[in-house]
Amino acid sequence: MNLRVEIKNLYKTYTRRKWLFGAGEDVPVLQNVSLSLPSNHVLGLVGESGCGKSTLCKVLLGIEKPTAGTVLVEGKNVAELSKAQWKELRRVMQVVYQDPYGSLDPRMTVRQLLAEPLDIHGLYREKSAREQFLRQLLEDVGLSHVYLDRYPHEFSGGQRQRICIARALALDPKILVADEPVSALDVSVQAQILNLLKQIKQTRKLSILFVTHDFAVARFLCDDIAVMYQGRIVETAPAQEVLEHPLHPYTQALLAAVPQVGKTLAPALTERNEDHMVQGRCAFAPRCGQASIACGQKAPVLIEKNPGHWCACIGLEKGEKK
Amino acid sequence: MSNSPVLQVRDLQIDFMVDKRSVPVIRGLSYDLPAGRILAVVGESGSGKTVHALSLLKLLPPAAAVRCGEILYKGKNLLTLPDTELRQIRGQKISMIFQDPVASLNPVLTIGEQLIETLRAHRKITKQEAFAQAISLLEKVGIADAGKRLAEYPFQFSGGMCQRVMIAMALALSPDILIADEPTTALDVTIQAQIIRLIKKLQQSSGMSVIFITHNLALASQVADEVLVLYSGLCMEQASAADLFANPVHPYTRGLLASLPSVKTRLERLPAIAGTPPVAGEQLVGCPFAPRCPHAVEKCRHEIPPLTNRAGHWTRCFRRDQI
Repeated sequence: MNLRVEIKNLYKTYTRRKWLFGAGEDVPVLQNVSLSLPSNHVLGLVGESGCGKSTLCKVLLGIEKPTAGTVLVEGKNVAELSKAQWKELRRVMQVVYQDPYGSLDPRMTVRQLLAEPLDIHGLYREKSAREQFLRQLLEDVGLSHVYLDRYPHEFSGGQRQRICIARALALDPKILVADEPVSALDVSVQAQILNLLKQIKQTRKLSILFVTHDFAVARFLCDDIAVMYQGRIVETAPAQEVLEHPLHPYTQALLAAVPQVGKTLAPALTERNEDHMVQGRCAFAPRCGQASIACGQKAPVLIEKNPGHWCACIGLEKGEKK
Repeated sequence: MSNSPVLQVRDLQIDFMVDKRSVPVIRGLSYDLPAGRILAVVGESGSGKTVHALSLLKLLPPAAAVRCGEILYKGKNLLTLPDTELRQIRGQKISMIFQDPVASLNPVLTIGEQLIETLRAHRKITKQEAFAQAISLLEKVGIADAGKRLAEYPFQFSGGMCQRVMIAMALALSPDILIADEPTTALDVTIQAQIIRLIKKLQQSSGMSVIFITHNLALASQVADEVLVLYSGLCMEQASAADLFANPVHPYTRGLLASLPSVKTRLERLPAIAGTPPVAGEQLVGCPFAPRCPHAVEKCRHEIPPLTNRAGHWTRCFRRDQI
């Protein structure tokens, strides 16, 4: 299978200083994360706040440098790329963020916003060709070309997110990193943007790394799902597998907590401990209803329980659960 | 269960001043909040759900003004009550928790100082008595090691824990009504489930009423006894939660429910509602949902439909019997 992105044993550590001149303390944020994104595929990265999913995006986009491990985009190791090579790579990989209010410059018109990437990469220099391209681009995301000369403040949240998507598509990338692109939107607009993302994925044969905290959204859009907890992948499998036969107790708890019409309230999971520096044991064990003594003694590793369905849980390793 | 309403809202209209022009934000809202029940007010951003909640405690920002209407708490109109009397009710009889629990707490005072301040502002008790009460309040909202944690600052608490503290503070004076404005929106889903359970448990044990404001229909279905759907400052549909989710009538409610992605099935396309929610003051003639409504007829574009009642299920739609 043709892999667009391959992440191997990625570690990322931030340094936290309690006092301005004090000694730093290492906080591991990503621990031994391995993921792959095949072409024309949507990989959902699901987890709660602070689990490291946005950090993973930042490392992938080159905003943060990995502490250890490799990130291959189109077969190239991003840690070894020069500035010029990064510029080339950005034609292939683009990003859409959560907040469509914060990600558009309020002083630029839609035309300027969409043309900026073209200017940087020297594309569509001829005036009429560019005009035609910009009109088509805007219409591809479901907005009329008459909006080209308007400013971001004239649009609603959903429309702004469409502009952000158009901007990301301007260079005709192959990979889209979408960091919670629908969670700031109203319910009635969220469905429109999800439909749009699905449609452009199909028409443009895009690979999408889709970061979300919402399993229902992931189910709609993703082919595969990886569940993260405190910097580690705890379960990964095809979307349907994860949602219908979740193996990890955390995945099960997270799924149960998703509010749904016609379902009673989920049983409560205990509060998370904020200790990020869990080493040598299962990070989820203190909150896990199925934890045994062994969970506090060694860290679980990902094992392939069923074909294509990986899960990191001591209980599974010992074969206590099916 | 006594069902006499503890709060009655009658034809509430609230305007905002925008560029020296008054823009209606709440356009005639009426409902009864029965004692011991949870009413969910569901709406998207700009629907007026928070403005309505703030008006119940007369906490509206200066740019907003109540044009007309009544808010009756046990027969007393809160809108015309003198400030001294209102202060007896606000915080004591009706209290409120907000979306962002971390921002709602004072970062430079300990949790204990803030709880004790609340207690002593309303009751003539000694510091020792207040301290003891503060401990029992924290225990009531499920915070372990309460005595020690009283001396800690908000930054030492997680988001979920801060919301527990806010709930403890809101319940400190045993109010009749708790207004919860998106209390779990800033929290993770697993924490959200805990906080919702806590609110429900406390509501049942104390018999208070809750106005639960949310944008999340699914959450409303799990929490509320009664649901009110707000759109562009108008109540579009109101019914018991069981009835509303089993038989949604208004095209807006139906559209919202249909457009929610599900964890159980995977659809090729979500049946999304077309268009965008109106910006406050944008379209004032006709049904505010008409531009997005698949069932709209000419009449819907010229006249605001009245709320009609069929066996306790209220809907604001001309075509409720045809669709």
